[in-house]
Amino acid sequence: MARSIYRDRKYKDVPYEVKLDLFNQVKQDIRWKDFMKGCFECGVCVGACPTARFCDFSPRVITQTMSREDVDTFYELMNDMIWDCSQCFSSTRCPRKNSPGGIVTIMREVAVKNGLESAKDALKTYSRIIYKVMSTGTQVAPDMLQPDFFPDWGPNVKVVAENLDVWRRAIPPDTLHTTELAWDVSDKTKFQLYMIFKLTGNLELIEQVDEGIYDILGETIEELMDEYGVEADEVENILEEN
Amino acid sequence: MEEKKSASFIGLDQRKFTRKPNKKSVDYRHELFELEEQGELEVIRVPEPYVEVTTKFGRTKKIPLQGGWHHKSCGQCGHIPGYPTSIFWLHRQFNLDYFDPKDQTSCTAWNYYASSASNVPAQAAIAVRNFAQAKVDGYFPYIHCGTSYGHYKETREQLLHYPELRKQVRTIMDKLGLPFAFPEEIVHYSEWLHVMRHKIAERKVLDLSNITVTVHPACHYHKLVPEDVIYDDDYFNGQRTPVMTAIADVLGANVADYSTWHDCCGFGFRHILVSREFSRSFAATRKIERMKDEANPDLLLTQDTGCLTTLDKSQFAAKAHKCNVGLPVMSDVQFAALAMGAHPYKVCQLHWHGVDHKPLLEKMGIDADKAWAEFEESLGPIKSGQKQFLTWEDV
Amino acid sequence: MSDNPILVIGGGPAGLAAAKGIADLGRKAVLVEKEEYLGGTPIKEKYAALTPDFRDAEEAMGEMIKAVTDDGNVEVITNSTVTSVEGSAGNMKVSVQNGGSGKTIDVSSVIVSTGFDHFDPGEETQVYGYYEYDDVITLTDAEKMLKEHKFVKPSSGEAPESVCFIQCVGSRDRQIGNQWCSKVCCGIASKDAMEIKQILPDAKVFVFYIDLRAYGCWEDDLYWKAQEEYKVNYIKGIVTEITKQGDKLIVKGEDTTMGRPMEIPMDVVVLSTGMEPSEGTKEMAGVFNLPLESHGYIGTIGGPLNTVETSVPGVFVAGASTGPADLEDSVSMGGNAAMKACAFAMKN
Repeated sequence: MARSIYRDRKYKDVPYEVKLDLFNQVKQDIRWKDFMKGCFECGVCVGACPTARFCDFSPRVITQTMSREDVDTFYELMNDMIWDCSQCFSSTRCPRKNSPGGIVTIMREVAVKNGLESAKDALKTYSRIIYKVMSTGTQVAPDMLQPDFFPDWGPNVKVVAENLDVWRRAIPPDTLHTTELAWDVSDKTKFQLYMIFKLTGNLELIEQVDEGIYDILGETIEELMDEYGVEADEVENILEEN
Repeated sequence: MEEKKSASFIGLDQRKFTRKPNKKSVDYRHELFELEEQGELEVIRVPEPYVEVTTKFGRTKKIPLQGGWHHKSCGQCGHIPGYPTSIFWLHRQFNLDYFDPKDQTSCTAWNYYASSASNVPAQAAIAVRNFAQAKVDGYFPYIHCGTSYGHYKETREQLLHYPELRKQVRTIMDKLGLPFAFPEEIVHYSEWLHVMRHKIAERKVLDLSNITVTVHPACHYHKLVPEDVIYDDDYFNGQRTPVMTAIADVLGANVADYSTWHDCCGFGFRHILVSREFSRSFAATRKIERMKDEANPDLLLTQDTGCLTTLDKSQFAAKAHKCNVGLPVMSDVQFAALAMGAHPYKVCQLHWHGVDHKPLLEKMGIDADKAWAEFEESLGPIKSGQKQFLTWEDV
Repeated sequence: MSDNPILVIGGGPAGLAAAKGIADLGRKAVLVEKEEYLGGTPIKEKYAALTPDFRDAEEAMGEMIKAVTDDGNVEVITNSTVTSVEGSAGNMKVSVQNGGSGKTIDVSSVIVSTGFDHFDPGEETQVYGYYEYDDVITLTDAEKMLKEHKFVKPSSGEAPESVCFIQCVGSRDRQIGNQWCSKVCCGIASKDAMEIKQILPDAKVFVFYIDLRAYGCWEDDLYWKAQEEYKVNYIKGIVTEITKQGDKLIVKGEDTTMGRPMEIPMDVVVLSTGMEPSEGTKEMAGVFNLPLESHGYIGTIGGPLNTVETSVPGVFVAGASTGPADLEDSVSMGGNAAMKACAFAMKN
């Protein structure tokens, strides 16, 4: 059994097979061969990285670890570093044409899919946003601009919140008079979006990180699908069929 | 100066960049049209009239002037509504046809980059569903958000190169009863603004010669899949994208450089919502303070949802930490609309922005208090219940 | 056996070595050079001192040129290019174009020694600002200054307090399709760094590198010497972006040894631009129908054991037209090609 090459392992260890399984899930991603080539430690990614300037985060460490296929260090990164990435993709300048940001996207996806504690932690306060985007098809709604959520954004947030309804109705394009979603999305389109989530197993992913959100989301989705004469439970995940 | 001349033998005067095609860059359109020929998908053609521009690795890109299916941005529509409103207002000023659909979802990439609580087939299907709707509606997609633009370019690469993914998306689109459609070009609104810049400049009503602007380009615009990005040898000697800089320039403003031009804004997708101290510190110290210290601009222009939010909203708390902040932020398209006489509140919706913009408006020759009074007055009929909404006729 | 002369195309170090070798073996050589002078890149780009021995480039190349021009067995045709070839092994008719006029020469065999071009830093996918800032220069710009025994900040003419070299510009890069090491840049940068320190002992000089490749005896002759005797700072980590703050350049990257992002004000940045097959090399590959190897240089058929023979009988190559090469490589290949081309002429 292989073990970490570092003595100061930071996390409660799990059996090597568990780590290897997660690692193989990352490697099986369709994008893997395009995102991960090899790393000669030039540091271009770190030089371009915003997060590396403020956090203990290094796109080079992530890429080098994955290049070495160092399963133990990979598991460490899955437990913290991956959630610090800004996903700005400044590191796509990599001269080896790795995509450190893309590798992080895949690693996060595997962390979510497997319900890793780090994913649950990272998304704890975030899941209301997941609910918003998955239920309305728009991620940011005007009614999210509440001083309670954004006390650090200054007094303007409060002014906006107080005038929200009137100000929204004063915007000339008629799609923008909404307050609960960014623009007026038709029910037909929402239904199609729900179908996509069902067909690709995206709803089940949410169950892994936040059961509460999963439950209310499920209800919202079922209700509208009902209206369109589709039994939500009967829509199968096409990815599993294959 | 004598000494300076003595170094000129290294040929400084002859430095002129000539763009050559990148050996590694292939024109994806060949693959796209090939897939169309094989019946795998339908390509939404760029409608005429269009303007041809040069991109980073020398490919010519077509930017249509009208006929846009406006793929709106959730962050812009939700929190910075002056963005889409200014885009539409400019279209109306030039009598250019456009379509503002309700059958559109967000690209959902903000969530994807924040949480990874999705997967490639879902992301690709969401993109293709929007494009299919544009095709059904008979318009060409214009992408408002930098992240949607970047994400859709990535999705295009994936759809072109992973047959398995195409099969999955095909299955989904069949179930939805929609065509598998993809546009010939992924076009960002700021690229449309870029090719419209001379026409806009012809109709400007403000003297902007005393306005200094700095520019923040969006990472997902110019770093993610860079081969689609406009480059023009007349700006930065062809070394940076001229988008935003060129419109500010032709409108007569002074564009100032600063040492963190290429830096990200610090948005971070999840950080801006749940790790905000990172976004705030980054935006305030790496971007705003640098600009203030080095260029002391009147205004910061940007082109994306997340950048505008981060750069604008991060300044309040930074002020408490005695940072050198206090720089109004708006999009290139709001600035262009103002220059052409758009109302700062009824059209450009500046009251949704955090940083005090009134001194800027005054410097631009706009009576901010009068404009605000006009806006307040226009709200009267809504408040009294006389009108439910304001329309284009009201502004 | 053919009595026709042997054609050498390109009058740089490899071509000069080849022409002289042919003449020394008692055969006639015709040396065609597209510039009006001989000497190749070291002369054209005004190199100061040769790497690794610091010998004055003009003087050293001058000797090599004189040995060729003084030799009655070599006919030198400058300002000329080879435009087409007819016939085959042993009896080739080659058209040589000189401005508006052209002539045909019967030759027995050919040596292509058309060398490399320096990478254009404007095509770099890192943001190096060569076309934005006067104080960002290339290795060849640095050589031009050092040849005048000076090193100044081009924007002001003043002596720089800090200078850095950025390695692998246009080399080892999948983004731009140049997946090779250009071999010489680490040595040249180290040599230039020492020359700068000789002129400006107080200047702080950095070399940013991915892997410092001072192979063979260049290790202590150049790398260790620069680091130990001249206190040149070697930092593992290349640079992502160069911007400007006031009159200083700002160099952004990572010090990978320390694992820390860097942001260093700098007076002069020298880009160690690598090699690419020259336009002439690509043209000659077309004229003689020579297959290219996977990187775009002229391919040879003997692997590492025969570096000069191509798949076209009677056509040999030497120097950087076959791949990145230093002076030692180039002149050695020139001699080897001369020997093989003479042998070919004797047999055909």
